[in-house]
Amino acid sequence: MNVEGKPVAIIMIEDDEGHARLIERNIRRAGVNNEIIPFTNGTDALNYLFGPDQSGEVSAKKQLLILLDLNLPDMTGIGILEKIKSNVHTKRSPVIVLTTTDDTREIQRCYDLGANVYITKPVDYDNFAHAIRQLGLFFSVMKVPETQ
Amino acid sequence: MPISNVNLMRATAGFSALGVLILLAMVALSFWMLERTRSSTEAVLASRGERSALVDLLSVIQDAETGQRGYLLTGEPRYLEPFEAANTNIEPAFAKLLSKLPPGEPSKAFAKKLKALMDAKLAESTETVNLRREGKSDEALAVVLTDRGKKVMDDIRTLIHDEIAEVEKRFSTSVDDQRESAAYLRMTTIAGGLMIVMAGLGVAWAMRTYTRELVEARSEVQALNAGLEARVKERTADLQRANDEIQRFAYIVSHDLRAPLVNVMGFTSEMQTSLEALEPLTTDPAVLASPAGPAAVAAITTDVPEAISFIRASTRKMDGLINAILKLSREGQRTLNPEAVDLGALFEGIAASAQHRLTETGGELKINHPVPVITSDRLALEQIFGNLVDNALKYRSPARPPVIDVSVQNDRSGWVVIHVRDNGRGIGEEDFERVFDLFRRAGVQNQPGEGIGLAHVRALVRRLGGQISLKSELGTGTTFQVILPRNLREKQEQSSERRG
Repeated sequence: MNVEGKPVAIIMIEDDEGHARLIERNIRRAGVNNEIIPFTNGTDALNYLFGPDQSGEVSAKKQLLILLDLNLPDMTGIGILEKIKSNVHTKRSPVIVLTTTDDTREIQRCYDLGANVYITKPVDYDNFAHAIRQLGLFFSVMKVPETQ
Repeated sequence: MPISNVNLMRATAGFSALGVLILLAMVALSFWMLERTRSSTEAVLASRGERSALVDLLSVIQDAETGQRGYLLTGEPRYLEPFEAANTNIEPAFAKLLSKLPPGEPSKAFAKKLKALMDAKLAESTETVNLRREGKSDEALAVVLTDRGKKVMDDIRTLIHDEIAEVEKRFSTSVDDQRESAAYLRMTTIAGGLMIVMAGLGVAWAMRTYTRELVEARSEVQALNAGLEARVKERTADLQRANDEIQRFAYIVSHDLRAPLVNVMGFTSEMQTSLEALEPLTTDPAVLASPAGPAAVAAITTDVPEAISFIRASTRKMDGLINAILKLSREGQRTLNPEAVDLGALFEGIAASAQHRLTETGGELKINHPVPVITSDRLALEQIFGNLVDNALKYRSPARPPVIDVSVQNDRSGWVVIHVRDNGRGIGEEDFERVFDLFRRAGVQNQPGEGIGLAHVRALVRRLGGQISLKSELGTGTTFQVILPRNLREKQEQSSERRG
């Protein structure tokens, strides 16, 4: 997952540290060695993505892939998705929504807002691990555009 | 002035009746007046006829006299011609007069008198004429000179003139009568018209008062309605809020309970993976030889795997429970689709899908026809009765093959009562309510399940606007009674109308 030699960073916004750890392990098992930057709440993630001035300049010229959980303690993942997809610097970064909800309306809303992939976390761990590994394989072949 | 319905009806009917009465009176009066006018006109016409008959008779008598005089004077027979012509004309003229005279004694007396005078005159004139014809001019003249003829003639003239005066008087009386009648008629017509207009105004007044009252009452009802609607809307909003809260609750439950569950399952798996890494150590002689060796080997080979299997079983169960809660909450959100459902066909379908288990246990499902067609949600009905039949098979008595009996009674007031009776193991009376609770089950727990079937069934029945209850005897069997509206759409419309 490299474009012009620049490494793609995976921003993982996931409030459950256990899940974060399980996701990381399974992605690694799929052979993805990119840097994974974990956040357990929305505020920190937004500060990282958009900088202290919230302009998004800090993310310019980077290759970012965002793994987003919808249920966060301080804000909804939908709000974050909206901000990412409406910011000129981050709008092209792929966003993968990875959440427990399989509510149809929620899924539609995420795609409407520009989510690139929506994955429901399987409750059964074997399926969960399998899904994450598949996602890892997917990461290893996908192209991530550079942000503006 | 407030008037009630009865008062309005009385007022309207009263005024209308008054109008009709006035109209009838006017018609009667007009008829009477017309009759009067007609008799007056007839009297006028009769007077005219009589007068002309009188004048004609007088003229003929005078003609006769003139002829007589001329002949007496000249002795010329040509003067006799008018005399004789007049004499022959007198009879018809008199007859005509008689026919024109009004009936009654005065007329008879008059006719008699006139006849006598005329006869006298005729006698006198005939006598003189005859004398003259015989050449006895002097004698004839002498007769004339007696003034007998003149006197008779004067009497005739006076009599006829008096009669004419009388006729004239009658004539003018009739004309006056006619005029009077016309005046009366005009006045009654005007008065009647005015009265009808007043009666009409009375009706209009009553209607207006009533209409105004109606409008007032209606606006009052509207105001009340608006208040009611506002209250209903408020309540509906409250309910909606409560419902939304439950939905959110279900969502939170599904996420927040599932998330840790994934961790528990995930790290259990990780632990197992790690355990596999330790596996080779259990056969390592160095480990076995160490003091803690046997205990460590026991932990790796039996204790930890056992713990892991318990954790797995529990998480699987918990996952099932969470899914059950989600399913129930989702069922509450599904939009019902009322359609015509042939309950007979529906039960047959359920029997067909249970056929395998029925054959396996030697049981049977009896459907007591006739079974009506109702308007309801097919999917919900399938789930309700599928679940009940499923339960009946699941909790059958081990002593006998299961017999399930389905019957439907058509209640007259828009409901159907469906009984699903089985000969299963039965439910203790203390559990009649409990079996409908979520995650609660009754009796020997020898069957798999989470205890959500009947809770789900009850939720569905309630959504269809019905209710479910059961009667049971331990060891004999259970009868579930489901009461459903025959037409769910109507019921929904009613409740949405109530909602305004």
